Amino acid sequence: MISYEFLTSKKIEEALDYLDKFSKVQILAGGTDLLVNIHKESPRLPHFDYLLDISNIPELKFITLVKNFIEIGPLVTHFRLIEEPLIKGNFPILSTAAQTIGSVQIRNRGTIGGNIVNASPAADLLPPLIALKAEVVLTSKKSERILSLEKFLTGPYKTKLQADELLTKIKIPLLGDGYYTDFQKIGRRKALSIARLNLALVTKIDEKGVFHDTRVVPGSATPYPQSFPVTEESVNGKSIFNIDLEEIGEIVSKEMVSITGERWSTPYKKPAIATLIKRALEKIIKEAKTNEN
Amino acid sequence: MKINKITVTFIVNGQEVTLKVGSKERLLDTLREQLQLTGTKEGCSVGECGACTVILDGKAVPSCLILTGQIGGSEVLTIEGLEADGKLDPLQQAFIDYHAVQCGFCTPGMLMSAKALLIHNPHPSREEIRTALEGNLCRCTGYEQIIEAIESVAKNCQ
Repeated sequence: MISYEFLTSKKIEEALDYLDKFSKVQILAGGTDLLVNIHKESPRLPHFDYLLDISNIPELKFITLVKNFIEIGPLVTHFRLIEEPLIKGNFPILSTAAQTIGSVQIRNRGTIGGNIVNASPAADLLPPLIALKAEVVLTSKKSERILSLEKFLTGPYKTKLQADELLTKIKIPLLGDGYYTDFQKIGRRKALSIARLNLALVTKIDEKGVFHDTRVVPGSATPYPQSFPVTEESVNGKSIFNIDLEEIGEIVSKEMVSITGERWSTPYKKPAIATLIKRALEKIIKEAKTNEN
Repeated sequence: MKINKITVTFIVNGQEVTLKVGSKERLLDTLREQLQLTGTKEGCSVGECGACTVILDGKAVPSCLILTGQIGGSEVLTIEGLEADGKLDPLQQAFIDYHAVQCGFCTPGMLMSAKALLIHNPHPSREEIRTALEGNLCRCTGYEQIIEAIESVAKNCQ
C-alpha cells in the first residue's frame, strides 16, 4: 500500500527547502496523472515517502511576455492555455493542443508543468512545445539551470529533473514573421482520449512560398516525443505550390520506423502518421495561399 | 507508515468547515464520508466519468483527483448547494421537466458541469453545452434530454 506524509507549500523557496531537506519526495501539482497512479497503485510510480503539494504557489501561475520570450509558470492550467490572449495570439498551436486534452474538468486542473515533468509518450503539449523550441528552467536551493525541452526529456516518463529540483518556468521564443503552425491528433474518441498519435508542425514560408526552418514533432510515435530531422529537411526548400505530400508522408513513416523499429502497432501508425503530416501541411499551405491573395 | 493528519479549512456550499483529513483523502471522500454529502458520486475514480464533478472556486473539477489537503481556503459547491431556500436551481427543475434523468447516477455531475458552464457563459451555444459535458458519461445515454434541459435554462437566463 502506498503511504506518504503530505507536505504543502505556498512559496517556491519553501518548496525548494523541502526538496533539499527531504529525500524521496513526489511533487503534486494538478494531480490529473499522479492521483490516478496513486489510486491505482501503479507500478510506474517510484517509491516516495513525501508528497509535496505545490498547487497553491501563486508565483508559479504566470504568463508573461519578457523580451522575445513568452514565459509560462508550470502551474498554468490547460484551461488557461486555451483562454489566454498571449498564448492564443502567439502560439495558437499550444491552445489547440491544450483544447484536445481530457475534458473540461481535467483541463481545469491539469498543468503545463505536470504535462512536461510526467513526460508521457502521449503527452499532448510536448510535441508543440518541442516544435516551438521551448526551454525549461530548473531551480534547486543551490542553483538554477536552463535546458531545451527536447534535451530535458530522456525516455518514456523520464526526464533530467534532479530530486532537489523544481520546474519553475517554461520559456518559449516568439516566432518571427511568416511562421505557420498546426497540431493534429488522432484519439479513440474526441473527448478524454489519450492520443493514439499526434503531430506538431511549425514552419516558415517566405514570400516566394518556400518552406524554411520546418519543425516536425510527432507524439505517441516514438518512445518519447522528439524532432524528426530527416522529415524537416525534406520539407525545407520545397515550395507550397509543388510540394509532393505523398512523398513527405512516406519520409515521415520511414523516419518513425528508423527510430522505433517494426512494432505491433507499426502497420497502423505508418499510414496514420503520413496522414497527419499531410493534413497539417495541407492546412498550412491553404492558410499561406489565403494570406498571399 | 507515515500518515499525517492535515487540518484544512474551506467553504462548502456557503459554510466554512475545518476538518482533519488524511494524507490520501480525496475531496470526494471528505464530501461523502466526513460531511455526509453523498450527492456527489464515485464512478471511475480516475477522472474519466465526471460523476464526482463539483465546482471548486468557480470551476468544474473531478473531486476524485483532488486531495482535500490541497484545497485550504477554497470554495466548494456540491449538488446539495444548488437548491436554495427550498427552491430548486433552474437547472435542477429543467432536468425534471425535460426527463433528463434516467438511472440518475450521472445527474449530480452533469448538473455541476452545467452549472459551471452557465456561471461563466449564461448563453452557451449547443456546441458549447456539448463541450462542457464531454467529461460526463451517462451510461443510460440520455444526452439529448440533458442538453435540451440545459439549453432551456440558458434561453430563459436574463
